[in-house]
Amino acid sequence: MSPHASHLTNPLATPTQLSTSGSQLDGIPPDLERSIIFAGARLTQTAGQLLRLPQDIIARAIILFTRFWVGSEGGSLREYAAADISAAALYLTSKLSPHPQQPRSIVNAYAYLDSFPTTFNPPSAFASHTNQESYFLSEAACSASKLRLMQSEAIVLRVLGFNTHVATPYTLCINYLQALDVFPGPRATAIARRAFAYLNAALLSPQLVYLTHQPHALAVAAIYLAAREGGVKLPDGEWWAVFDVEREELGFLVVALRSLEGFVRGEREAWGGRRVPLSLGEVEAELERRGVLERVE
Amino acid sequence: MAGKSRWADDDADAQARKREKEEKRRAKAERERRAAEEAAAQQRQREQEALQADDRPTDHRPTKRRRLSEEPAPEEPAPEAPLALLRLTAPSWSPSRRVSIFEQLNHIDEGTYGTVSRVKDLSTGSIVALKKLKMGRIGDGFPDMALREIQTLQECRHAHIVDLKEVVVGTTLLDVYLVMEFLEHDLRALQEDMVEPFLPSEIKTLMLQITSAVEYLHDHWILHRDLKPSNILLNNRGQTKLADFGMARHFSSPPLANMSQLVVTLWYRAPELLLGTSVYDSAIDMWSLGCIFGELFGKEPLLQGKNEVDQVGKIFALRGTPTEATWPSVRRLPNARALRLPSTAPPPPSLRPAFPLLTTAGVDLLSSLLELNPAGRPSATQVLTHPYFTEDPRPKSTAMFPTFPSKAGLERRRKKLSPNAPMRGEAPRFGAGDFGAALGPIGEGGGVWGV
Repeated sequence: MSPHASHLTNPLATPTQLSTSGSQLDGIPPDLERSIIFAGARLTQTAGQLLRLPQDIIARAIILFTRFWVGSEGGSLREYAAADISAAALYLTSKLSPHPQQPRSIVNAYAYLDSFPTTFNPPSAFASHTNQESYFLSEAACSASKLRLMQSEAIVLRVLGFNTHVATPYTLCINYLQALDVFPGPRATAIARRAFAYLNAALLSPQLVYLTHQPHALAVAAIYLAAREGGVKLPDGEWWAVFDVEREELGFLVVALRSLEGFVRGEREAWGGRRVPLSLGEVEAELERRGVLERVE
Repeated sequence: MAGKSRWADDDADAQARKREKEEKRRAKAERERRAAEEAAAQQRQREQEALQADDRPTDHRPTKRRRLSEEPAPEEPAPEAPLALLRLTAPSWSPSRRVSIFEQLNHIDEGTYGTVSRVKDLSTGSIVALKKLKMGRIGDGFPDMALREIQTLQECRHAHIVDLKEVVVGTTLLDVYLVMEFLEHDLRALQEDMVEPFLPSEIKTLMLQITSAVEYLHDHWILHRDLKPSNILLNNRGQTKLADFGMARHFSSPPLANMSQLVVTLWYRAPELLLGTSVYDSAIDMWSLGCIFGELFGKEPLLQGKNEVDQVGKIFALRGTPTEATWPSVRRLPNARALRLPSTAPPPPSLRPAFPLLTTAGVDLLSSLLELNPAGRPSATQVLTHPYFTEDPRPKSTAMFPTFPSKAGLERRRKKLSPNAPMRGEAPRFGAGDFGAALGPIGEGGGVWGV
């Protein structure tokens, strides 16, 4: 391994790990699992923003959250609540960063986000959500939540084998833009913003691209899309090869990143005014509802 | 929705589900095994076909095409010269295994934040060291020091840095153990049992090894922050390995502001830390290295202060008092305000009298490592190229290293009192009076000390 490589690479999921999951072995339908992990990743993103954490740290938390569920030895959604694991991933990541969060802040942020009646809310919902009692935590409830946070943290560490290393593609992305002479340039900021938007969105990808592809490939795909949309001309020829990305890999990632929009629209329509089940009780209720539906059919 | 849910979770249900899950897991593993065997068989067949194809004349093109359309996967011939792309190795992750895979052999040591034992891996029979992490209550979360140590050790792969093999867990969420390679000695305990100090040639070998590990850390932007002989392990093949990364952290250039000054065990703590700086860099590790170098010659810790103030006194007694000229920014350090530093002072006393057996190059290296001004200390890379290591006697080959009776836990060693790594909390602030008392006799030489 070349020196410093660890700062550029992530551990990746093995094909065996990607073929099944603890949840599926426990009888969770794959589509429900996909919905819950997508909603959990979104929840982590929103909670991180509420806590004013830098995006790099939020991204690390989402990647740890996603890793937790893959593979037959990964966590099962019938054993661990997605919201708890999301909170633990954010707490753990912040603890290793220059922005450690108090357990109380984490617990409060998640209590607030849990008080919304639906999962897919327009941005305006936050302004009109003024019923403070719905997210007030009593002292007892708060310490119970904190204890659950610590237990979930220990479980996340065990399932991940204490491997908390995450490399993110943001710095590489800027670096590559500089190497491609987009930086400094008139449209540099717009292109970088767009590329970062693709990188952030990819965190929520149902193809789990952060678990299957290294940061440098993700950065190249984001730049490719951002430059094409922004009408910025990149060098002729296979410039991605300079960054050690093959055409096939780039093609796969470009398709994956662009397909995300359709997936999200589908999720929004499917769940509409309902909540994606993020607690153990909600998951069981959803399974029962589906069971009932099947029986009726 | 009314009535008892058929998913209701009672014990029997949970048990049944667990069993079912286990069965599915086994079935899946079996299927995968079969699939893998079939794939391997196919692969062998394909390879044979390919071999036969290769035997034919090379200008027989259709063969090649046919093979391509059937099976694109194996060794697809690139139309042009293949691009030499960097392939990064990607490890994976898997859940922590149970500590019960190890058999306890004997207890080795109890450190500030963990108990170490020598254990045997029941599946492979290999001997490893097992360090049980000390935890508070579950309500405090996983200690960040332990997390940092795990992360740093996972990042480091170096011949002279202890290898963290894996992290295993016990039955409760609070039982976490680090599995590390087992080394017979640590340098502190070993020196306590030795009659004579190491030979100069042996010291060179040890210093080269330790410094190369420190160079690796600094190259990877990691500060160890607790270098001392008891954290340097030695095996019976003359190899040292750095251990105990609980204090380690990443650093940057320019250095981050507001790092903790409560780092490094007192006797090995650099003067700038003692004087209260919160902005420091790799030079603090180099100071510790200098202390270790001196200790290897004398077999005794070089600067055994009783407390922070006494430590500063001992340092200045050995290396002279700093002046504006020798250490320009010293007056701006928080604890230096209690000192009235002289504007002129005699040049620092030579280290020669304290180390009569050291060569001129050796004295030069030691003085540069124990330079009061952090900016004046050499980097680890510079130390490695110092003439001291190329002059006679040459560094002793590790194969020729003496072995010592392995004491690691086979008998309880008497433990000498030595200070531990600093704990979290308030850094002490010195009052003017503290220094007046501690440094009185030293101050007579040149400076006037705080009233």
